[in-house]
Amino acid sequence: MDSLVKDFEATHCVKVTLVNIDNSQLYDKQVIEMVGETGAYDVVTLETAEKAEFAENGFILPMDDYIKENAEAVQYEDIAPILADMTTQYKGHIYGLPYYTYTAGYFYRADLFEDPTEQAAFKEKYGYDLAVPTTWQQHRDIAEFFTRKAGENLKGQPLTKDFYGVGLMAGRFQEIQDELSAFVWAWGGDWLTDEGKVDVETVTKALKWYVEELLPFAPPAALTSSYDGVINQMQDGQIAQTAGMFLDQWPNAVKTEEMVPGAKMGNAVAPEGKSYIGGFLLAVTSDSKHPKEAMDFVAYIGGVEAQRKFASLGGTTTRMSILTDPEVTSEANRAFTGAFPTLVKVFEEMKDTRSNLFFTPFGAKIYNTLGPMLQTAAAGEKTPEQAVIDLAAEVEKICGGACPINK
Amino acid sequence: MVSSVVSPSDNPQIKADKPRKKAMSDGLFSMLLIAPAMIIILFFALVPLGYAMDVSLRFADLTRGGIKEFVGLENYRIVLFDNYFWKSVRVTLIFTVCAVSIEMILGVFVAFLINGATVGKGLIRSLLILPLATAPAVTGLFWRYLYDTQFGLFNFFLGKLGLPQPNWLGDIDVALWAVIVFDVWQWMPYIALIVLAGLQSLPKEPFEAAELDGASYFKVLRRLTFPMLTPVLFLVGVLRTIDCLRLYDAVAVLTRGGPGSATETMTYYLYRTGLQFFRMDYASTMALLFLYAVVLASMFALRPLLNRFASRAQAR
Amino acid sequence: MLQNRKSPMEILRYGIIVIVLLWTVFPIAWMIVTSLKMPNDIMVSPPRFVFKPTIDNYIYAFQKENFALFIKNTLLVSVVSTIIVIVLASLASYSFARYNVGGGSVLFFILTTKMMPAIAVVLPYFIIFREIGNSPIGELLGIGLDKPGALIISYTIFNLPFAIWLMVSFFQDIPRELEDSARLDGYSRMNVFYRVVLPLAMPGIAVTAIFCLIFSWNEFLFAYILTRDAARTITVGVESFFTLRGILWGPVAAAATISVLPMLVFVLVLQRYMVRGLTFGAVRG
Repeated sequence: MDSLVKDFEATHCVKVTLVNIDNSQLYDKQVIEMVGETGAYDVVTLETAEKAEFAENGFILPMDDYIKENAEAVQYEDIAPILADMTTQYKGHIYGLPYYTYTAGYFYRADLFEDPTEQAAFKEKYGYDLAVPTTWQQHRDIAEFFTRKAGENLKGQPLTKDFYGVGLMAGRFQEIQDELSAFVWAWGGDWLTDEGKVDVETVTKALKWYVEELLPFAPPAALTSSYDGVINQMQDGQIAQTAGMFLDQWPNAVKTEEMVPGAKMGNAVAPEGKSYIGGFLLAVTSDSKHPKEAMDFVAYIGGVEAQRKFASLGGTTTRMSILTDPEVTSEANRAFTGAFPTLVKVFEEMKDTRSNLFFTPFGAKIYNTLGPMLQTAAAGEKTPEQAVIDLAAEVEKICGGACPINK
Repeated sequence: MVSSVVSPSDNPQIKADKPRKKAMSDGLFSMLLIAPAMIIILFFALVPLGYAMDVSLRFADLTRGGIKEFVGLENYRIVLFDNYFWKSVRVTLIFTVCAVSIEMILGVFVAFLINGATVGKGLIRSLLILPLATAPAVTGLFWRYLYDTQFGLFNFFLGKLGLPQPNWLGDIDVALWAVIVFDVWQWMPYIALIVLAGLQSLPKEPFEAAELDGASYFKVLRRLTFPMLTPVLFLVGVLRTIDCLRLYDAVAVLTRGGPGSATETMTYYLYRTGLQFFRMDYASTMALLFLYAVVLASMFALRPLLNRFASRAQAR
Repeated sequence: MLQNRKSPMEILRYGIIVIVLLWTVFPIAWMIVTSLKMPNDIMVSPPRFVFKPTIDNYIYAFQKENFALFIKNTLLVSVVSTIIVIVLASLASYSFARYNVGGGSVLFFILTTKMMPAIAVVLPYFIIFREIGNSPIGELLGIGLDKPGALIISYTIFNLPFAIWLMVSFFQDIPRELEDSARLDGYSRMNVFYRVVLPLAMPGIAVTAIFCLIFSWNEFLFAYILTRDAARTITVGVESFFTLRGILWGPVAAAATISVLPMLVFVLVLQRYMVRGLTFGAVRG
């Protein structure tokens, strides 16, 4: 990011100060400044779920006019359509540009899947070939299959430490919700029904599956893990696959190949084709004192040139032209861009998916509630059924009734 | 001894006072001295208090238009009926009681141990004081790493000793203990050092007399040592209790209130309500309830201490 | 007691003491060790004890994250606020000790100001400092959001009650006769305070200063809310290593060590004085 900023400064004679904030604190810090109307931040970074709330309350500026005037530079259509829709659009306006996407897919240890011993054993036990799972049932079978204690064999060699079939982000963070989205959307539901209430049926089904069928095959540390925990587990050779994992973590996941002898990583679309879509949106604040320059900045960072550079440095860009550029996705760049083809496929598969969660002005609050409430079920504090019922009640409290959905 | 009018200028060394008309009264002087400090304290304590009181009586959702209309005691009603609020109260109380009692017991034990040691007291004290110099927000991060089931040292050592390796931060029954252990690590030395100092400052005579009388070790402890240590123990217990009730950093950094809501203390729940949901109305209400409760409790608990201060000041 | 050297009791005693000391020190030691590890040696199971040390993490912290600025900010804020606290508190405590202003109730009131949970107070402070920051005084004195002045004032308020309580008993320990005879010699009250009482109270003042310094240095919440980047302190800076690429534990350890080391050294050197302070002077060290 730094180098991109420097490029912008060089070409635009504008000074930009970058403030680094931890992801989990991003929301509070930015909102405080905006609520306090300090004008401290000209540009803010938002998550998909937060966009509606900020737009509704007038915290960020619509950029429709700017984009129309600078269509050449911005090339809005180049942004993956589903991403553009979910991350930037609200009530018919466009509110910024996404510069980074963490859309999810699936990572796995290709070497394990391709090992003949394992393949034979799997076929024998489950009756079908070991391959990248296309259904969640297969995913579960693989998780069960690969969960072994120290001393048992993996790839014909005895294990020195316990091995687990799947890594889950079941800690009390927001990511548990991202992971569960894959199930909820795959099974035809959504977090919020069109009436603005929690989709109790599908969410319960997803949560039950997660807690009862997958969690037993994850390391105990899953209950405290976010995405970095799972990646660390992968790098340390503790897990065989992830669930719906953010594809932008590919460069990290690939490190496993250095750290675990013989490991080979693979990435794919998540089973049943649905997984969390989202990105970080750069938007201009309404009390910015330099809106024009701020919009220039957003346009630049989200623009083709900067995004290309971003991709080459390992960033997960949002622009289709770059994602599909053969030079960018060549074998030589596998460590950085190896997940791009999958990303494109995910966008393709999910192009008709919309989630109501991203279009309600209470989105941010709901997003902040989902994590802890879902986690109570993962931690065993409540049953999945109870957790979802409580969640529905909480959401209703937050919205003061049914949540308005404003596409 | 009444001094006659000996003018200060008789003594050339004293910086002469300008011959004053009538000197300022003691009362006024004392007020002036405390004035700067009190002004600052009053302003920066009362303004937020006033703000909190005001907000607690209004609707205040900062991301939806800020502070709005007066709603009377509605917020209090909502908070007092909030199950999660009471859960957090329960967590806070359990944590406080466990942490403080363990720290006290271990601290006293360690103090006695060190008291009887013949060499190295200085070194021991130096090492013991280290945890106190660290920031919970920083070392807490580290403890998260130490507690990890796979990567952490604790379970590594427990495994080597053949002991069970709990999921410190992930198991709802264990997580609060993980936080308690961290607090004990940081504050047990504090208690030990204080009690140690207390032991070392006890007058010798009663003990020598008891020894002459042939009293047993435990009798001495029970009749002599502990009663004399009681004021110190009491003071330290109260201070730690107040601090434990306000615990925030450790939870924020170790468990973020999880897993589930096993470690969500009142202050963490307050943080979530105020700085994540931006419902400052509920947050202020909770803060005020907390304040009232703690003030009430400490009025009761600190009375003896205050009396001591007052009497010491009087006696002079 | 038996005076046999190395009696079993002695060995047991020292044995337990050693265990307690190891337990107390090892998390900090492990943190320092981790800061010297390369990334691949950190998140591994089982934990690695043998590794090739590196100072890359420290280099990273200083280069990438402007850590030198954080250190400078923390130093500035801690030292200045401590000085202010000491000055104000000495005056006030002396007054309470000598003149018993308001009986015990004013003192009690001062203590209660600390009982408000910090989270609830932080937003009003944010607003207050925003206003001050926008005013000319704020510009002049460097007070306002993301300026050191805001933290200096916050820490002053934060530590003042504690400092006052601590110093009251130190002042009470000074024999009144000394003050009285100085008064009789014609010194004004301020002079008595300045020339007679203050020098004698130095150890107590030193202890108080140490504690104020430590608390300011280690504070997190206010630093987090009231600063953005220009005035950021070390404790907040440690968290800046939580990136989208995951937590960079090596630099986090380095940052944590940098944060902790000065205080550790400080405390080791002055430990003798601290014990007195720990009990509000109720117990002599």
